[in-house]
Amino acid sequence: MQVTGQLLLTVLMGALLLGVAVFLARVEDWRSYTPLGAGGTAGESGYVSQEKPSGIIRWFTTVDHKDIGLLYGTYALIAFVVGGTMVMLMRAELWTPSNDASLDLLGSATFYNSLLTSHGITMLFLFGTPIIAAFANYLVPLIIDADDMAFPRINAIAFWLLPPGALLIWAGFFPLPDVIPAQTAWTMYTPLSAGVGAGNQSNVGVDLMLLGLHLTGVSATMGAINFIATIFTERSEDVTWANLDIFSWTILTQSGLILFAFPLLGSALVMLLLDRNLGTTFFVVGGGDPILWQHLFWFFGHPEVYILVLPPMGIVSYVLPRFAGRKLFGFKFVVYSTLAIGVLSFGVWAHHMFSTGIDPRLRASFMAVSLAIAIPSAVKTFNWITTMWNGKLRLTTPMLYCIGFVSNFIIGGVTGVFLASVPVDLVLHDTYYVVGHFHYIVMGAITFAGMAGIYYWFPLVTGRWYQRRLAKAHFWLWMVGTNLTFFAMVLLGYGGMPRRYATYLPEFATLHRIATVGAALLFVGGLIFVYNIATSWVEGTRVSSGDPWNLAEKNLNTAEWAWFEQRRETALADGGEEGDAVTDGGKVDADDE
Amino acid sequence: MDETPGLSDQYRMVSPWPLFVALGLPIAELGLLFGLVPLAVGGLLLFGGSVAGMLRESGYVSTPWRALVAISALTFVVGGALLYADPMTTVSLTLRGYATVAAAVVMLVVGVGGELFAFDTDVAA
Repeated sequence: MQVTGQLLLTVLMGALLLGVAVFLARVEDWRSYTPLGAGGTAGESGYVSQEKPSGIIRWFTTVDHKDIGLLYGTYALIAFVVGGTMVMLMRAELWTPSNDASLDLLGSATFYNSLLTSHGITMLFLFGTPIIAAFANYLVPLIIDADDMAFPRINAIAFWLLPPGALLIWAGFFPLPDVIPAQTAWTMYTPLSAGVGAGNQSNVGVDLMLLGLHLTGVSATMGAINFIATIFTERSEDVTWANLDIFSWTILTQSGLILFAFPLLGSALVMLLLDRNLGTTFFVVGGGDPILWQHLFWFFGHPEVYILVLPPMGIVSYVLPRFAGRKLFGFKFVVYSTLAIGVLSFGVWAHHMFSTGIDPRLRASFMAVSLAIAIPSAVKTFNWITTMWNGKLRLTTPMLYCIGFVSNFIIGGVTGVFLASVPVDLVLHDTYYVVGHFHYIVMGAITFAGMAGIYYWFPLVTGRWYQRRLAKAHFWLWMVGTNLTFFAMVLLGYGGMPRRYATYLPEFATLHRIATVGAALLFVGGLIFVYNIATSWVEGTRVSSGDPWNLAEKNLNTAEWAWFEQRRETALADGGEEGDAVTDGGKVDADDE
Repeated sequence: MDETPGLSDQYRMVSPWPLFVALGLPIAELGLLFGLVPLAVGGLLLFGGSVAGMLRESGYVSTPWRALVAISALTFVVGGALLYADPMTTVSLTLRGYATVAAAVVMLVVGVGGELFAFDTDVAA
C-alpha cells in the first residue's frame, strides 16, 4: 500500500513536471513572434500594441501591476465569500443555545470549532491582506507615476503563492482521507496546536494549515519588499517625499510593518511545525515554553492589526476629502500619526497576554503603550472629522462608506481603549466583548474602507458605473447589520458570554439572535454587492468623461484619474475600442460607444 | 533592470515563470515536511528550474544553465545539512536529506548538460 502510494505520487509528480515543461516550451515559442506575425493561440492578438496574450494564459503569465491587482482583488473577494459563508453557518447555529452533546444545526462542536478557526484565518490572511494588496498593486504605481512595480515578477510570485496557501488552509474541509480541519482558532495557541494531549489536533490538517499560512506570509513579505522598493525608487521626478500621497504613505508604513512582523510569524510557524513533526521542544511544557508561542505570535499578531488597518485608513484619508469638497485637514499629522502607529504597534503585543500570569510590571508597561497608541489613532479620527467640518459633503456610496468607517472605527477604537487597561481586560478577556471590539475594526472599519475603495475606483478600473441604488442598499444593510451584530456582541461580553463556544446559556439567547439577524443583513448586503459588481462590470453604464466624480470642479483630482483620462483619450484616438477595456480585463462589446 | 521586462518584444508584460516558482515552493515544502520523496524532489526541481529560468528571462544571467548549477549547489548544502543533523534528531531525516540531494544532483546534471549540449539560441534578453 505504501509503495503504491509513493509510486502514484511519483507518476503524478512526473506528469506535472512534464506538463510544465511542455507548457514552457510552447510559451517560449512566443519569443520568436514578431509583432505583426502574431497568431498561434491568440486569434485576436494581432494588434501590435497588445502586450499580453489573450484568454486565460494572459492571467496565468501576467506581470502587469494592474492585472495582478485585479487577481488579488478577485482572490480576496472569493475568500471573503468563503469566510462569510463559514460565519453564516456559525451564526445560524448560534440561533439556538443547543447543548454540548449535539449541536442543532452543525452536528458537532468540532465542526463549529473548525469553522471558527478557518473563518478567522480566511478573513485575515486570505481576504484582508490580499484586498489591500489589490488596491496597492493597482493604484500605487499609477499614483506615483511609476511604469510598474520595481520587481514585476516577484509581484506575480507573491500573488501565485496565495492560491496554494488557501488550498492548504482549507484542506481539512476537503474530502481527504484522515485529514480533519484545524480547530486551534486563528491564534494557534500551544500546547493545543502542538498536537499534544488527548485531543485530535495532532492531525495532519493542522500541519497543512500551518504550511498554508506560512506561504501567505512569504507572499506578504515579498509584496512588502516590492512596495518599499517601488515607492523609494520608481517614483516620477514630480513625486517627492513632501507631496507623496497619503495612500502611498500608508502602504509604505504597512510594508515596513510586514517586513518586520511576517518573517517572525514564518519562523514561529516553522518552529511549531518542527515541534509537531520532528520532535523539537520549542513550545513543550518542560524543556520549552507554551507561553513563548504567545509572545512570538503576538509580536507578529498585533502589528498585523495595523498592517490591516493602516492602508484602509489611507484609502479613507484619500477618498473622504474628494467628497467633502476640501483637502485633507492636517495632512502632515495624518502622515506622522501613521508613522507613530507603525512604531508603537511593535510595543503593545503583550496586552493580549494580560491574563497569562506574566510579570505585573511588564503588564503595566504594555498597558501604557497600548493606551498611548490611541493618541495617533484619535489624531486621524479628528482629522477626518475636521475635513468634513463645514465641507460640502456629497453622500456618494464611497463617501457613505468612509463616514461609516469613521463611525465604526470610533466604537471599535474606544472599546479597545478599555481593553488596554489591565483591570478591565482581566474581566473582559476571552469574552464576546473582545470579539465585538475587533469586529468593529476588521468589519466595520477595514472592510468598509475596502468597499469605499472598490466603489470609488470602480469607474477607473472598469470604465463603467456601478448601480447606485444597489450600492446604497448595500451600504445601509451593512451599516445596520454591522452595528446590530457587533454591538450585541459587546453587550454579550459584558454579560459574561465567553468567546469561541458553540453553545450558550439560555439567558444569552436574545442577544445572540440579534447578532444573527445582523449577520443575515450583512449576508444579504453581500449578495447585493456581488450581484452589483458582477453585472455592472459587464453591462454597467459607460463612464462618459475622464473625471467621473467631477473632482476637477474643486481642484481635488488626483494622479490616477489623470492616467484614466489619458487612457480614454488614447483609446478614442486609436479608434475607440481597443486598449481602454482590454488593459483591465474587461471585454470590448461591439455595441459599446 | 531590463527596460522592457517580459517574454518577448510583443508580450512585454508576461512571464511564465512566477506561477511555477510559486507552485514549486509549496510542493517542496509538503514533500520535505511529510517526508514524501516524489513531492520533495519534484517540488525542488520545479522551484529551482523556474528560478533559473526567471533569472535568465530578466537578464540577470545570460543562460539558465549556470544559474541552475548554482541553485543545485545551494540545494546540495541544504540536503547535506539535513543529513548532518540526522543523527542528532529523534525523527529520521535521512529520507528528506537524500531527497534534497537527489534534486540537487538532477539540477546539476541538467545544468551541466544544458551548458554543454544546448543549441545556442538567439538570446534576446
